[in-house]
Amino acid sequence: MRVDLSTAVGALTLANPVMAASGTFGYGLDLLDLCPPECLGAVVTKGLSPAPRAGNPTPRIVETAAGMINAIGLQNIGVEAFCQEAAGELARRGATVIVNVFGERPEQYRAVIERCERAEGIAGYELNVSCPNVDHGGMEFGHDPHQLEALTALCRAATSKSLWVKLSPNAPDLVGTAHAAVAGGADALTLINTLRAMAIDPYRRRPVLATAFGGLSGPAIKPIALRMLYEVHCALPTVPLVGIGGIETGSDVVEFLLAGASAVQVGTAIFRHPAAPLRILSELEDFCVAQKVGELRALIGGLRWP
Amino acid sequence: MIARRDVPARLVERRELSPTCFSLLLATMERLPAEPGQFGMLSCGQGLDPLLRRPFSVAGVRPLGSGWGVELLVKEVGRGTAWLRRAPLGTILELLAPLGHGFNLEAAASTRAALVAGGIGLPPVLFAAERLAETGAPFDLFLGAATGDELLEIKRCRAAAGAVGGKLVLCTDDGSVGEPGFVTTALARRFAAGQRWERVLACGPDPMLQALARWSVTEGVVAELSLEEPMACGVGVCLGCVVELADGRRVASCKEGPVFEAARLAARWRP
Ligand SMILES: Cc1cc2nc3c(=O)[nH]c(=O)nc-3n(C[C@H](O)[C@H](O)[C@H](O)COP(=O)(O)OP(=O)(O)OC[C@H]3O[C@@H](n4cnc5c(N)ncnc54)[C@H](O)[C@@H]3O)c2cc1C
Ligand SMILES: Cc1cc2nc3c(=O)[nH]c(=O)nc-3n(C[C@H](O)[C@H](O)[C@H](O)COP(=O)(O)O)c2cc1C
Ligand code: FES
Repeated sequence: MRVDLSTAVGALTLANPVMAASGTFGYGLDLLDLCPPECLGAVVTKGLSPAPRAGNPTPRIVETAAGMINAIGLQNIGVEAFCQEAAGELARRGATVIVNVFGERPEQYRAVIERCERAEGIAGYELNVSCPNVDHGGMEFGHDPHQLEALTALCRAATSKSLWVKLSPNAPDLVGTAHAAVAGGADALTLINTLRAMAIDPYRRRPVLATAFGGLSGPAIKPIALRMLYEVHCALPTVPLVGIGGIETGSDVVEFLLAGASAVQVGTAIFRHPAAPLRILSELEDFCVAQKVGELRALIGGLRWP
Repeated sequence: MIARRDVPARLVERRELSPTCFSLLLATMERLPAEPGQFGMLSCGQGLDPLLRRPFSVAGVRPLGSGWGVELLVKEVGRGTAWLRRAPLGTILELLAPLGHGFNLEAAASTRAALVAGGIGLPPVLFAAERLAETGAPFDLFLGAATGDELLEIKRCRAAAGAVGGKLVLCTDDGSVGEPGFVTTALARRFAAGQRWERVLACGPDPMLQALARWSVTEGVVAELSLEEPMACGVGVCLGCVVELADGRRVASCKEGPVFEAARLAARWRP
C-alpha cells in the first residue's frame, strides 16, 4: 500500500508533514550527512535578526526529566549572512525553507523579511513572537493581542509568501493571541514554543542556567502542546496549525494531526538523534499502512470527541 | 570530509580503573576513524530519561574482529555515567562519532611536546600519547589527580612515554603518589629550570586548563586545550556549548573544538 504523505499548510504544499523546528537544525546545512534537509517537509531556520547576535552567557542548557531547558538567547549569524551563505545552497538542494524571524522592534521583523524577499528559494516565514518588545517595556510581542496583531499586519504587508506566527505557551490568553495573529493576516499558526522554566543546583544553591530562566522542550511538554493545539483548533477550526512540542515518534505526529495540526515540527529529538525526523517520518508511514490510512490528510482534525 | 556516523555500538568490555572511573570498549560494524581530541555522543540509557546523549572523548580506536573498537574512559558523576557503569555487557548503545576537531598531532610530532592530563581529562591525552608513541615522536607526559587512586592507566602512560624516551611525571593533590601539588606547577617548574616544550596538549578540569592557558601565553608556548562544555547535540545545531574567543565570537565547541589553542580563547580563560 502506498501512502500519500503530502500535506498543505494554507497555500503551501509540503511533500510530507515533518519539519525540523527552529533552533534545532542550524541553518539547514549542518546535518547534510545525517538528515538531508530536502528529505523533510520543510526546514525552519534558527531565528534570524537583522544583525548577528552573540546570545546569552553559558551555561545555556540543562537537561531535566524527559526534557531540557535552554537559554541560548537567540544567538544567530544575522539575516544577511544567512541569505549569502545558506539560502542558495538550500534552494539548490530542493529544500523547502521557512525562515524563523525575530526582533526587538516591529521594524526589525520587517527588515528580516524584506532581506529574505530578495533571496532565492524561501517558502515563507515563521514569526517568533516570544521576544521582548523594547518599545513596550520589554513585554513579549506574543503576550499582548494588540501588539501581536499589529506586528503580524506589518509583516503581512512585507510579503505575499506564507506567514506563520509561532505562539508562545506562556501567553496569558493563548486563544486571544491566536485570534490576533489571524486578524493580522497570518496564514497559519505554529505552536508551541518552549515553556518558561528553571532548574536549580541544590549543592551550589544557584540556578543552573546563567540567565536563571529558560525554555523547556522535549517529551515532557508534549501533553501540554497537544492540549494547546487542540484548544486553538477548536476556537479557530479553519486556521491551519503546525504542531510542535516533544515529538519523538510517528505516533506522536498522528496525535498532533488528530488534534488539528496540518503538519508538525521536530525539535529536541534531533539532539538525541540527528536523523530523528527521517525515522519519525518512516514510523508515520508504517502507522498509516498498518491503520489503512491512504492519505495522511485524512487524519487532520480527525479526533473523535466528544 | 565528514566521517562521522551515528551507529549502534555494542558494549563488549568494561574495566574498573579507580573507585570512580572505568573504561568501556564499544564495538561497531563501521570504521569510526577518530583522531586524538575528537569525541563521540553516547546514549546513556534506554528510555526518554535521561533524554540526551553524553559527550565522551575517544581514548583509542582500533580494528576489532570484523569491525571496529572504540575505547572510552569514564568517570561516574551522575545518572548517565552511573547507567554506563552498570549496563550489562552486550548492551547496544548509540554512538555518534567522531565529532569535533582534535589536537594538531602533526605539529606536536614535529617538536617535543608536553602532554598534560588532570583526572578524567586523561582519555584524549592518552590517545594522543599512544599515537605519538606509534609514530616515534618524543614527548613528556604529566599526569595529575586529586589522589593516587585517581591516577588512571599509569602503566599504559609509562609505556607510551617510555617508547619514545619521554618522561612520565605523576602528581597528586594529596601527595599520596608522585609529586605533591598540581601538574601545572610541576610543568612550570621544569620549564623554569630550562626544559623546553614548544607545544602543550592538555585536558582536565577548568582550573588546570586556566592555569596552563595563562602560563603558556606568558611563556610563548602553544597550548592546545580540550574543553568540556555541557552539550546537547554535539553537532553544532543547538548552540548550547559555546566558548567565547578572544575576538568576542561565541563558537560551538562541539564543532570548532573541543580542542582550542589557549591564545584564541577569551581572557576569562587566562585569569
Ligand atoms: C567534549 C567532551 C568530552 C568529554 N570526555 C569525557 C571523558 O572522556 N570521560 C568522562 O568521564 N567524561 C567526559 N566528559 C564529561 C561527560 O560528558 C560528563 O561527565 C557526563 O555528561 C555526565 O553525565 P551524567 O549523566 O553522568 O551526569 P549528570 O547527571 O548529567 O550530571 C552530574 C554532574 O556532572 C556535571 N556535568 C554534567 N555534564 C558535564 C560536563 N559536560 N562537564 C562537566 N560537568 C558536567 C553536572 O553539572 C552535575 O553536577 C566530556 C565532556 C565533553 C564536553
Ligand atoms: C536549543 C533550542 C533553541 C531554540 N531556538 C528557537 C528559535 O531560535 N526560534 C524559535 O522560534 N524557537 C526556538 N526553539 C523552540 C523550538 O523550535 C520548539 O518550539 C520547542 O523546542 C518545542 O519543540 P520540541 O519539544 O520538539 O523541542 C528552540 C528550542 C531549543 C531546544
Ligand atoms: S552541543 Fe549543540 S551546538 Fe555544540
